Amino acid sequence: MLKYIKKYWFFCLLAPMFMVGEVAMDLIQPDMMADIVDKGVLQGDFSLIVNVGVRMILMVIIGGIFGILCGVFANIAAQGFGNDLRKDLFGKIMHLSFQQTDKISTGSLVTRLTNDVTQVQNMVMMLVRGFVRNTVMFIGGIFMLYRQSPRFALIAACGLPFVVIAVTFFLRKTSPLFARVQRKLDGINHIMQETVAGARVVKAYVKEEYELGRFDDANDELCTENLRVQSLLAFMSPCMNIVLNLCVVAVIIVGGFTVKTDGGITPGNIMAAITYLAQILHGITFMANIFQTFSRAKASADRINEVLRSPDIITDGAQTPNPATKPLSVQERGTVEFRAVSFAYPGSEDHKVLENLSFKVEQGQTLAIIGSTGSGKSSLVHLIPRFYDVIEGEVLVDGINVKDYNLKDLRDKIAIVLQKAELYSRSIEENIRWSRKDADPLDIKKAAQIAHADDFICSKSYGYYTPVSEGGHSLSGGQKQRISIARAILKEHEILILDDSTSALDLKTEASLYQALNKEHPNVTKIIIAQRISSIRNADRILVLDNGTVSAIGTHEELLAQSEIYKDIYNSQLKEGGIGK
Amino acid sequence: MNSVKRPPEGFENRPESGEKIYKQNPNKQSEPATINFRGRPGGPGRGMGQTVEHAENVTGTLRRLLQYFKKTKKLLVLLLVSVVFVTLTGLLVPALQGASIDVIKEKAWNTLYSYVIMLLAVYAVNVLFTLAQSLIAARLSQSIVKQMRHDLFKKIDHLSIKYLDTHSNGDVMSRMTNDVENVSNTISQSLGSLVSGVLTIIGTVAIMFVYCWQLTLITMVTVILTVFVTKKMSKIMRKVYRKRSAVLGKLNGHSEEMITGYKSIVAYNKQDDVIDEFAQTSDELRKVSIKAEILGGSMGPIMNCISNISFVIVAAFGGYFAYTGLITIGTVSAFIIYAKQFSRPINEIAQLYGTIQTAVAGAERVFALLDEPDEDKTGCEKPEPITGRISFRNVDFSYVPGKQVLYDFDLDVEPGQKIALVGATGSGKTTVVNLLMRFYPVDKGQIMVDGVNIQEIDRDYLRKNIAIVLQDTVLFSNTIENNIKYANLEASDRQMEDAAKMSHIHRYIERLPDKYDTVLKQAGAGLSHGQRQLMAIARAILADPKILILDEATSSVDTRTEKNIQDAMVKLMKNRTSLIIAHRLSTIRDADKIVVMDQGRVVEIGNHQQLLEKQGKYYELYMTQFAGNKT
Repeated sequence: MLKYIKKYWFFCLLAPMFMVGEVAMDLIQPDMMADIVDKGVLQGDFSLIVNVGVRMILMVIIGGIFGILCGVFANIAAQGFGNDLRKDLFGKIMHLSFQQTDKISTGSLVTRLTNDVTQVQNMVMMLVRGFVRNTVMFIGGIFMLYRQSPRFALIAACGLPFVVIAVTFFLRKTSPLFARVQRKLDGINHIMQETVAGARVVKAYVKEEYELGRFDDANDELCTENLRVQSLLAFMSPCMNIVLNLCVVAVIIVGGFTVKTDGGITPGNIMAAITYLAQILHGITFMANIFQTFSRAKASADRINEVLRSPDIITDGAQTPNPATKPLSVQERGTVEFRAVSFAYPGSEDHKVLENLSFKVEQGQTLAIIGSTGSGKSSLVHLIPRFYDVIEGEVLVDGINVKDYNLKDLRDKIAIVLQKAELYSRSIEENIRWSRKDADPLDIKKAAQIAHADDFICSKSYGYYTPVSEGGHSLSGGQKQRISIARAILKEHEILILDDSTSALDLKTEASLYQALNKEHPNVTKIIIAQRISSIRNADRILVLDNGTVSAIGTHEELLAQSEIYKDIYNSQLKEGGIGK
Repeated sequence: MNSVKRPPEGFENRPESGEKIYKQNPNKQSEPATINFRGRPGGPGRGMGQTVEHAENVTGTLRRLLQYFKKTKKLLVLLLVSVVFVTLTGLLVPALQGASIDVIKEKAWNTLYSYVIMLLAVYAVNVLFTLAQSLIAARLSQSIVKQMRHDLFKKIDHLSIKYLDTHSNGDVMSRMTNDVENVSNTISQSLGSLVSGVLTIIGTVAIMFVYCWQLTLITMVTVILTVFVTKKMSKIMRKVYRKRSAVLGKLNGHSEEMITGYKSIVAYNKQDDVIDEFAQTSDELRKVSIKAEILGGSMGPIMNCISNISFVIVAAFGGYFAYTGLITIGTVSAFIIYAKQFSRPINEIAQLYGTIQTAVAGAERVFALLDEPDEDKTGCEKPEPITGRISFRNVDFSYVPGKQVLYDFDLDVEPGQKIALVGATGSGKTTVVNLLMRFYPVDKGQIMVDGVNIQEIDRDYLRKNIAIVLQDTVLFSNTIENNIKYANLEASDRQMEDAAKMSHIHRYIERLPDKYDTVLKQAGAGLSHGQRQLMAIARAILADPKILILDEATSSVDTRTEKNIQDAMVKLMKNRTSLIIAHRLSTIRDADKIVVMDQGRVVEIGNHQQLLEKQGKYYELYMTQFAGNKT
């Protein structure tokens, strides 16, 4: 974290300097005011009022300018710091490997990027401005108090521990409560979100009153918790005031006695002492505040650091010369081979998702993968662009181990459509163009046609320029899938992977999509995960995955003859197998 | 802090098999209205750390807000009493302090003690009432907010599906998360300061007038100056802050989208592009933020300047008046103290102004939602028992005027029959369900259950007799038990387990450490799609309805599992009228009646065999499915 502040050390120094200037002007003002009152008004010296008045206004203006400048520099430092941190963090997030984002949820990453960075930035701001200001005020106050009379300083010294105790007490007590309030608040939002998102089910089961009851309970809990915190906090300021007030009374009494006995103090001293006392005690409260921000910022900084310091797990292959530059024979281009591959998700190594998998896909071939939920289909294809690393064996693309590639070169060869179609809130055109920036509109249309998306896109009011809403909610599942497929097709690729990405299409559309794909891109190697036999029966080969192992591999006819599992699946989908042949 | 985006203007959703279509003029830039930023209280920024929003109907909104205070009248009175006491004692303290010092000056030691005791007493009262004020304010704000949340949730709970379909969830949510929170904070934090500020100002002005009206008027001039400058400044600041909110909204939206869609970014090697784009917005934000913060931070020093200048003005004129003998010197010095005291609440109120505006704007949005009509609840007939005969008679329907979805839809279902609806996406299958459930009213024609128009049947009674299982399974962050028993809380554990066994989810649940008591996190995020659907089926089984609707209910269950639950489904559908929507034709082959829909019209009706023989649309669909790519 320090590294980021370092860059702005100059501003970090300038800001407090101007702050000291501002505070100094603030400290001089009471003196001048006293002059105006004591010497000017009280003694009727009108010219002195004007003279000192003008000087004072000047001072105030200079002080104000110092204050503003302090703000300027502090802001340059804090915002610059925050900006650098934010950008680095975002860059780091984009380069995390899947296993890392699996661990830290995306939601949490977003919070870190937005909230936590702001939090840390606020702290820098507070340190540069508030901390310095209050330290100066605090120390200056004590010094001035001492100058009025050492006895007064002693009174302050007696009061201080109580204030410190009170502040720490309240901080200790409230901070866990705050966390609890936050949890209760999350709870309420949860119920709310579920009820809104699941309104159809709530209504269908006539559960409006039930949900209201659930909400009221959570609401009660939140309010009780909130009330507890606020009630506790309500005591804070009166407690501080008691200490302050007792100190003031003590100053008056002690001051009075001193005036009476040795007369080393004037009434003016007492008046000033009261002002300084208030200043010191307020300084402490403010420090407490800073402390709170600091501990909050510390937690944020830790969360940010966790991301920033996470090691790069999947890194570029170190092989030289770069294997991507190796001249490939036509046959090699686009081949995918698995050699005795085993895979387990990081953190659960004893539970192997894939075990001893071997197969090869030649250029231009279509390999279909079928298997029940959880059999490891997605995990398998995720190994090809190296989203995860295998734990045993090797995956080869174009005859070269994927680990030897430069990541970018490897992924450039592959177009993958993920199970969950991810679209962005821009126009449909931009969403497709996303995979190839320089594509011309005809290419885009062509890709959309192959993906069978052109028709529905053109029927939209703004055609290709129709904006996609956040998360693609304005489109149906099938439409999203087709746009994602168009995007993948547009990319220049050797290998196309469809991870169950036609599940929302009706069968007719799906079938003709595959047909178009084969016709337009015959040389592209295709790996297709599907649930429906009818989607894959024409594939060159079909791999039946069962519990992470290859149960059978072959053509539709071969599998029907040999594989029990395949037959089982087939029958479950097409009970009367003969029909339609 | 949650950042919930409001939908852009012109947002219009149309529900059709769960899809939302929106029409929006792409040239119109949408402006994110809420932002994921709030200056931490106690921060160094002396200016206003928040975006100020403007309410449209302030008086009306305030009047409605006052309604909420009605129930807590006593607390409110108590609060005002405490504030009055706090303010009065606050005003007394400087006077007493000054008096004690005068006493010391005059060396009247005996009176000093009485003054000190008086001072202590005033302090004690002040502290007590400060405490009371905070405690009461907390209670007041919590009770109001609780009521408001309750009202709001109740309203949301009873909104029509139409409203929810046409408004973004985020928008509805943000009324609860942002707006109510804003109102709450303002009530608890600002109400006291506002009242005490106004009281202080009134009190001080009154005293000043008694002392010398001429000098008071001159002081007022400086007050006007303060108000004027504040207004001008906040106008400029509002502009900059608004700009910052816009950029911040953009950045937050961008990061959220990119981080959630991060897998595709990696897959397409787009990291560098995305990072560049982010850096651009981030830099932009830095620029506006610096500008905004500097402006905000300048407020303090500028106010300081003005208050000091007014001090000099008062001193100069006071000195002059004293010189001419209009007032005494003592009056001048008192005046200076009061004038000083005066500027503090003015500054405070100026700052509160923004907070209050934001809160009122929030309250306005809350009230706007509260004013939405409840879901239609007409109808009171309870035909008993419902046998499950359904008939659609010449039903026309459109979600958006001009875009008809169903044309002259006719369908008769006998009790206990199994009906399948098939057809391409957008052909109107889900709409039929929406209408039958009375989620939407028909435009023309009528739907009858057991011969009674569903508009005349008690709505809740109708729905209680129908169970639906949707494609997008809805589970709640509750225990599995509560999720399965959702429709029938009185069901015994035995019944629940039987239902789970029937839907083939029992074995999975048994393997969980807490079994049926397992609390689903984030609405079942840890479960696979198939598992979620099986839970929903178990729920429907337990509901034991007369009419069962399965809308793509098994689409994510792999076919082998589906085959296993087929028996369960057959059992489930026995003696019930079932309406099934499915892509996979294998699941509906044995339906009594298959209704083929195309663009809102029924094109074919018949059983599997009849339709195949007919060699029409169904045959075509069937062939693609079974012949695969060969068509």
